[in-house]
Amino acid sequence: MATITHEEAHTHTHGPELQHQFETPEQQKEAATLGMWAFLVTEIMLFGGIFMAYIAYRWAFPEAWEEAAAMLNTPLATVNTVVLLVSSLTVALAVNAAEEGKKRRLITMLVLTIVLGLTFLVIKGYEYSEKFAHCAGAKDPISWITGSDLHESHECLVPGRGFHFPDEHGSASGGHGAAKTVTMQSGHQLFFLLYFSATGLHAIHMIIGLGVMTTILVMALRDRFSPTYFTPVEIGGLYWHLIDIIWVFLFPLFYLV
Amino acid sequence: MAEQHTHAHAHHHSDKHTHISRGTYYRVFAALMVLMVLTVAAWWVEKNLIEMPGWLAVTIAMSIAIAKTVLIVLYFMHVKISSRMTQIYAAGAFVWLMILFVITMGDYIARGWPPQAGPLP
Repeated sequence: MATITHEEAHTHTHGPELQHQFETPEQQKEAATLGMWAFLVTEIMLFGGIFMAYIAYRWAFPEAWEEAAAMLNTPLATVNTVVLLVSSLTVALAVNAAEEGKKRRLITMLVLTIVLGLTFLVIKGYEYSEKFAHCAGAKDPISWITGSDLHESHECLVPGRGFHFPDEHGSASGGHGAAKTVTMQSGHQLFFLLYFSATGLHAIHMIIGLGVMTTILVMALRDRFSPTYFTPVEIGGLYWHLIDIIWVFLFPLFYLV
Repeated sequence: MAEQHTHAHAHHHSDKHTHISRGTYYRVFAALMVLMVLTVAAWWVEKNLIEMPGWLAVTIAMSIAIAKTVLIVLYFMHVKISSRMTQIYAAGAFVWLMILFVITMGDYIARGWPPQAGPLP
């Protein structure tokens, strides 16, 4: 009987979101947060594998690393860092708005986050297309699309058969120490392999994050949240912040060597 | 009745702790921006002004990245006001990461692989 009284006492203090296996909304939220963190730990270990490979090979090829990193577009990456940090702020403010039950502010912040996420992907996409354009022989992505100025570029930084890292004299001559050149080339190629793997996996997470944010936006528009229930905003936010943290490490490790 | 009392108490208790003000978010964001400028500035100085040993440049860059992470995890991800269990999970991730890095690199270095030749010939 005591249990029934207890349940009756609670039915009016919370909405239908409370699943029957939980005693209180707080307990349900705690379970969701802890579950999300368990998932985030596995995500950290997934990226951890790439970071481990990075450490081992940077230790093995320090000079190649420094030369290869100089070929990346640091100004664009700096802009992207700012974009992601701002998006983390808008997500934190979205959670705050949901907590306070401010629907309009929540929607504004979610839309801003989605716009910033898309901006990040567009900039990242431009960076990638620069590298692929060079492999096609064009000097920038625009001339690659229009098909003009082909054979202007003598470098290809996308790992694979066509990989060619330009030496100091501009083109491949292979005069001094062939063995060393081969080692250096493989070091450069490893750098770019890790660069494309790490930033590519990160970009995939961004795309998933955008899907999560869009879902939360739709839920917010349908009035699914209240100050007592906004768990999806909270744990979706956790995911977004994790993506930001990964970039906080990718940025200095690849662009600021 | 006794049970209800406990719940009411728990609710009050969590209310006191589960709030980070918007002002704090803005301050954390400002700190993140400052750290971002610092890391780029340190890199620029290292490339253009002062010759620095590689380990020092890496240490500076990684210290700044870790500081940014701590700010994001504690404030934006609410770990500062989360339950003890969540805090242990969050800290656990970084402990496991350190185990991965320290044991693997310990092995590489202990085997005396010449770094210039690399683990792959």
